[in-house]
Amino acid sequence: MADLTNRKWYTGMLTQEDWWAVWLGVGFFFLGLLNLAGIDVVGFLTYPTKWVANVPEGGKGAIGHAFYAIGKKTSITAKGFYSGLGWWSIIWTYVAFTIATCIGAAFMRWNLKRFFIGWTIIYFMTIATWFIGHHGFIAANKINMHKYGLNFALSLGGGGSFILALIVGLIIGNFFKPFAIYLSEAAKPEWYIKTAVVTLGVKLGYLPIKLAGFSHKLGKQATSLTFELFVAGAAATIVAYMIFWPIVYLISRRLFKLPRKTAAVLGSGISICGVSAAVATGGAVRAKPVVSIMVSALVVVWAVIELMILPGFFTHVWPKTADPIVAGAAMGMSVKTDGADAAAGELLDEFMRNKVAVESNGTVQWPEGIITASAVMTKVWIDMFIGIWTFVLAMVWVYRIDRRPGETVLVSEVWHRFPKFVLGYFFCWFFLLAIYFGPGQGGAPEAMPYLKTVKAGAVPVEGPMRKLFFMLTFMSLGIITDFKKLREAQFGKMVWVYFVALFVFIIPIAMIIAYLFHHGMQLPNIAEFVK
Amino acid sequence: MIDMVIRHDGRNWVVEKGDLRLASPTLDGIDAEVREFVKRECLVKNGQKTEVRMLFDNSTIPQWIRQYAQHYFNRVLVVEG
Repeated sequence: MADLTNRKWYTGMLTQEDWWAVWLGVGFFFLGLLNLAGIDVVGFLTYPTKWVANVPEGGKGAIGHAFYAIGKKTSITAKGFYSGLGWWSIIWTYVAFTIATCIGAAFMRWNLKRFFIGWTIIYFMTIATWFIGHHGFIAANKINMHKYGLNFALSLGGGGSFILALIVGLIIGNFFKPFAIYLSEAAKPEWYIKTAVVTLGVKLGYLPIKLAGFSHKLGKQATSLTFELFVAGAAATIVAYMIFWPIVYLISRRLFKLPRKTAAVLGSGISICGVSAAVATGGAVRAKPVVSIMVSALVVVWAVIELMILPGFFTHVWPKTADPIVAGAAMGMSVKTDGADAAAGELLDEFMRNKVAVESNGTVQWPEGIITASAVMTKVWIDMFIGIWTFVLAMVWVYRIDRRPGETVLVSEVWHRFPKFVLGYFFCWFFLLAIYFGPGQGGAPEAMPYLKTVKAGAVPVEGPMRKLFFMLTFMSLGIITDFKKLREAQFGKMVWVYFVALFVFIIPIAMIIAYLFHHGMQLPNIAEFVK
Repeated sequence: MIDMVIRHDGRNWVVEKGDLRLASPTLDGIDAEVREFVKRECLVKNGQKTEVRMLFDNSTIPQWIRQYAQHYFNRVLVVEG
């Protein structure tokens, strides 16, 4: 049966992944807001803490508390109940998200039975790696390791869990291929990361509320920082498009002698946003779908390679903790799929925060998620511009290059290519900002009780739900990534075009552009407010 | 406006509408076949124009890619009588 989900502007709303990222993210966001009516239905969401097998006297890290329901800390109306859930919060979370994701899978006409089984396997593997990754030896750092009775720790923070999930996924994807193929119905890194990005919008909207809880001044600082990210991300993206695309197109045509349409698709795939740009450009220039499919296969593999290299490079080589937002923005312009970029941003966030806390002996601590947001913000702008850029390309190709008589370019193509999950991201962000400036009175002391109820609903979504979906993304990315693809003969020169363009031009230029537009952006220091 | 479905089968562009199936290795070829069909079926009067909207069948794109991008192209061909 033909899949004509783009017949009208609304026809994909129940059948496309982008929209289901919106429904999942915004759905749970609204469930959280029921706290304003005194009903807490999100406090069960599970969250790990650092643990060790043998807790020292007076120390922390008992394995019995390794997982807890977030409502134990945030709930106003049901704290007692959620405090008692402990490890059972894993099952509650599984049930809730299984129902939600299976509904989405059914509407998207996936194989529901295979999705359910695959989802269950992936979920519990994710929880297991989340647990192992939070062992004190992996997650603790120089400042807090003594509380767990340790003399040394890897200081990876939450990043250890992400790396572990990726490694487990890659092992499955590269050495247990039949198992990976079976899981592929549920290994959907783009769906999971887009849902996580919608909850990142909750994070950004909640940030002023959270910091206002520490001090009014910090709340204002957080608000202006998020606006700066918004504007700087847009400016950096426009510059990136103008520079990246022509360079890659020229490399493909002049150096590697590829045909025009292939060069255009590669140009977009390498320089803009990976698979979505490659497919959009393929459609815009009316290339045979096989061109976009081949470029997409390359993009997915290279994006995971970037994910493995760049967070560590930006943290320990350049710009290190002197310019964390520059690193995040450079990441957003360099890593070519939403999943890998957001995942890399999250890793960078963990690494950078851990590093600065250790370097400063705990006197500097940054709020979690802002560096991730800087990586995601540039990517969001890039995603939004794909539709416009490929519309321009379509106009050039249809009216100047191919010039088929009678063919016209539809403006509706811009909407069909627009990344719908971005709507959820901005909706949640601006909704919470409206609460903060409206009934929240800009964080004034008299509005604090009201903002506390907002916190009870926002934190489970922007914390545990977001982290879980990031973990699912890392695991799924690994499962679907097959490094052997790079050796397939059909790719030929394209592999080298990708390598040269990315590592010799795109990443260095991304670093320069990120520096020009984001240098000097300061992260708030919350050390004095955090235990 | 006349709606048709367009896809690529790995070798040819294929346009379908009900029982109708047109195929050509190039879009120019498909456009020529569509024009011929519209005129033959008298779907456009002499001296007038009609639009043929070709909606891309997204099942052409492999499932694993559709999570990244859910639209290839829709195109409109103006046919003159």
